[in-house]
Amino acid sequence: MSATLAPSAGVTFAPVLQRAFPDGAVRVEPRPAHDVPTLVATAEAFPAAARFLRDDPSTSFDLLLDLVAVDRSRLDGPPSCRGEERFQLNALLYSTKRNEHLRLRVALPATDPRLPTLVETWPASNWFEREAWDLMGIRFDGHPNLARLLTHNGFVGHALRKDYEAGQRWLCTDEDVLQTRLAAKTDLPEDVFETTTLNFGPSHPATHGTLRIVVRLDGERVVAAESECGYLHRCFEKMSETHTYTQVIPYTDRLNYCSPMINGAGYARAVEQMLGIEIPPRARAVRVVLSEFSRIMDHMVCIGANLVDVGGLTTFWYSYQAREEIYSLLEACCGARLTSSYARIGGLSMDVPANFVEWCRSLSRSVRDRIDEVDTLLTKNRILHKRMMGTGVVTKEQAIAWGFTGPCLRASGVGYDVRKDKPYDGYDEVDFDVPVATAGDNFSRFHVRMEEMRQSLRIIEQVVSRLPGGPVVSDDYRVVLPPKEMVYNEMEGLIFHFKNVFEGIQVPAGEVYSFTEGANGELGYSIVSDGSGRPYRVKVRPPCFPLFAAFEKIVVGGLVSDAVATLGTLNIIAGELDR
Amino acid sequence: MPGKVVTLEPPAETLAVRLYLPLLSGMALTFRKFVSNVLSRKARPTIEYPEERRAYSDRFRGRHILKTREDGTLKCVACYMCATHCPADCIHIEAGEHPNLAYEKYPTVFEIDLLRCVMCGFCVDACPKDAIWMTKDYELSFFARKDAVYGIPELTEKPSDTAPDGPGYGYRPYYGESPKRKAGQFEPSGLAVLPMTLARNADINRMPPPPPPKPPAPAPPKPA
Repeated sequence: MSATLAPSAGVTFAPVLQRAFPDGAVRVEPRPAHDVPTLVATAEAFPAAARFLRDDPSTSFDLLLDLVAVDRSRLDGPPSCRGEERFQLNALLYSTKRNEHLRLRVALPATDPRLPTLVETWPASNWFEREAWDLMGIRFDGHPNLARLLTHNGFVGHALRKDYEAGQRWLCTDEDVLQTRLAAKTDLPEDVFETTTLNFGPSHPATHGTLRIVVRLDGERVVAAESECGYLHRCFEKMSETHTYTQVIPYTDRLNYCSPMINGAGYARAVEQMLGIEIPPRARAVRVVLSEFSRIMDHMVCIGANLVDVGGLTTFWYSYQAREEIYSLLEACCGARLTSSYARIGGLSMDVPANFVEWCRSLSRSVRDRIDEVDTLLTKNRILHKRMMGTGVVTKEQAIAWGFTGPCLRASGVGYDVRKDKPYDGYDEVDFDVPVATAGDNFSRFHVRMEEMRQSLRIIEQVVSRLPGGPVVSDDYRVVLPPKEMVYNEMEGLIFHFKNVFEGIQVPAGEVYSFTEGANGELGYSIVSDGSGRPYRVKVRPPCFPLFAAFEKIVVGGLVSDAVATLGTLNIIAGELDR
Repeated sequence: MPGKVVTLEPPAETLAVRLYLPLLSGMALTFRKFVSNVLSRKARPTIEYPEERRAYSDRFRGRHILKTREDGTLKCVACYMCATHCPADCIHIEAGEHPNLAYEKYPTVFEIDLLRCVMCGFCVDACPKDAIWMTKDYELSFFARKDAVYGIPELTEKPSDTAPDGPGYGYRPYYGESPKRKAGQFEPSGLAVLPMTLARNADINRMPPPPPPKPPAPAPPKPA
């Protein structure tokens, strides 16, 4: 289970880099083939390297996916892990022009870790930096508002540091609740005669989850907005560090609770990459089928709930009916309608029911009917056009700068889809299209989702028609629980079983960034392993985190009712936003 | 790679769209739905709970049960596997020595805090003795937090669990693609090996004589 290191895997621009940084301030780090290529920069050269990677035509990493901060102090490494190189900040980048991922890494000292902000280079890093400050205590000089993001202002310490004592409780008093900077702001335009501040959420019917938005209104027009998250923060990443790799799976269901199967499959895939194991073809196919059904479910919920917000209740019933039907299939496979916990590291928890293929076929027919019904109600409906067209516009450049992925990026004219551009689990063997719209408004996002559901049905029909037989879980008993007959009757099986449960899966020390196409965009898992049975660090890249970060910029200038529609089409899921 | 990126064009602003005519087909759809739902109960997608209940699959992860041996004792040997594998840390076990030496160990306390439980079924996966299953019972509500902590009396399998109007078995251990099982050589239950074990231990069971009654402890000397 050891991977060989490739010295410069995937880094085609190494000569250009060498010319730009001749003093070796930025070097290529050898990484195993399953991980993304990695550059290491010194803290001094980091901002210049970031700008170079974004601007140089041979690199052009224009989209910032994630900032992953790691506290290495408990890793079994050189003493510098506890001193000069205690913290690591990894910027995960993607180039929409060249379809390549890259990790840019910088090491930071234990005392007062700080870096110049990247907001100028990639505006998406605004909230990612706040998160890194909040949970890991890395300070970003020049950041416009380096406030806590996921924890509240009464919180003391940085929770994801390894020396933070979990279990401490901090009281959130009235003073610690976000004091809106908007209310105190006086530098608004001169022509604003009188403005009011309106508070949306955290429990507002239009927010679909515990999100909070404060808007400053001039009449009904939004002149400024501020969004806040963290109300549903459940310490997913901290909890993962104290659980075995298998025990993390039920937690992943609660990330994007509209499409839980995709999260579990994505997480299992990340760990499988670190282990270097192949899962049986049947497990891959079932994961694809159920993930695509989950994607339909997620889009249906998004469209249905969005239409409730803009005043069309009927669609909600039709789209939720599709979701209920899909839930029944999921329940027959794994035993729960929503909290599926179906994926296992190495495959699936159990085989699909005997009538799976026929069920999928009839379900895909009935879901297609539901999609057609929603289509009849909405696509040519001029009332909807008037609400959706031209509102909540995100241009292509903005979408890239703000770190959008998934349907929202495709609605702005960038055809990046992980399933197509970095195919996994056999997506390269099926025929499907990637729908793209150009306007970037609310209607485009709705339209892209409608078409994506049809493409998902195409994928399902193709995969189901050639569903492979065989087992659904790997036979490597260091990773999966052995069959029960071995456990009940043989000593060896029992030993594997005990070691698997008590010690967890022994993942070799290393690091991976693994990404799949979630319903809202690129769902990434950055996992650091120290070779034990528990992950050393898990960082999720929730696709709707950059979407919600950009929300406060999208809505400015529009009506407050358009803000509600925009929030719906962005499809913010609080569970995955706050983790 | 087959398939491609297709650009979606927004629907054309035809005269019909501008006259809001496509709304009529939407209204026809809702009216058709209305009529069929009024006329036929079967067409309605909703369920009138609790008079009518959804049929769940035999994998449904509901309330746990502890399986028993033929003699009524719990199959559980208090090995702590389920408590270790539980991601929610909701199982509490205390082990004791069973008077029957063939069983060796048994749980004196076995509690599941159903308010902590996330119904993931990992306890069933982890059990090496086929001792914990789940039922299809999902109607779990409590008046007090302490009522949600189910002990051995509540968890032990009862005839009502499998009665015709009972919830029935849900999530069970998965046996996988097993060649022995296909050939019919394997009985998927920990019970199959039990008679052998019992026979082997029969005389051992008789061996330890009952411990002699302890002489009563001498009364502590009374302080003068």
